Amino acid sequence: MDSIVKFLLDNSRVLVMLVVLIIWIGIFGYLWKLDKKVQKLEEPD
Amino acid sequence: MKTYYKILVFVILSGVCIAGFMVPIDFIPGLGERARNLFFHVPMSWVAAVAFLMSMVFSIRYLMTKNMDFDIKAHCAAEIGLLFCVLGYVTGTIWARVDWGTFLKIDEPRMMSILLLMLIYAAYLILRSSIDEEEKKARLSAVYLIIAFLTVPFFIFIMPRVFPGLHPGSADDAQSPGGGPVVKNEMNSTMRIVFYTASIGFVMLFVWIYNIRVRIEKLTIKKLRRIAI
Repeated sequence: MDSIVKFLLDNSRVLVMLVVLIIWIGIFGYLWKLDKKVQKLEEPD
Repeated sequence: MKTYYKILVFVILSGVCIAGFMVPIDFIPGLGERARNLFFHVPMSWVAAVAFLMSMVFSIRYLMTKNMDFDIKAHCAAEIGLLFCVLGYVTGTIWARVDWGTFLKIDEPRMMSILLLMLIYAAYLILRSSIDEEEKKARLSAVYLIIAFLTVPFFIFIMPRVFPGLHPGSADDAQSPGGGPVVKNEMNSTMRIVFYTASIGFVMLFVWIYNIRVRIEKLTIKKLRRIAI
């Protein structure tokens, strides 16, 4: 763990990239879930 | 929306997030590492332009056919276009604060043109929400969106290149007369690949969000009609 933290401290660009990637994965997951929810609502009763 | 499309959007934009930070870039004079912003900031305006074009096309189709589906599509495209326009503006102002020392520069044509576009499309949303009668709302919205789009090429493509400003490619761009790195595509090949991939990826993301938004709007109308009966 310490070596990862040290690596991220030395390579701050990688750290920012990871943050952006996590945000993107979160947005993607939300959109995916929303799509599924709408799909369910569209199904005829 | 097909599953493979969603996975493709995920792969492309994840790749852009990684490449946008990691690939070695040519240093554009005055920008340095901040040039990486190009991969995220510029596609926002591209997507907004595509969305506004779609809203105009669907508005024309609505006026020709009187099919309410086209009204919904035009409205959703304009709404999401405005969202991307705001994102482009906000990311631009943050960059401007660092590079030019201010969040808002009134004599910067590209900044002002995006701000005016935002106001035009925000006014559209206010106009639309103020009309109750469905057909009147759709007709007025369609006419407004067609006229509003006429300003888009002027504000996004012409004005920033004709008047002097701080953006690369402005009329008085001393570092690269006749057009800066964005206009003349003077980015190196790696930057260009990431930039165009980002633009395609964000347009694909817009199409997905737009698809969900249209479906939600249709469901809402269906529910409202059911309640009315």
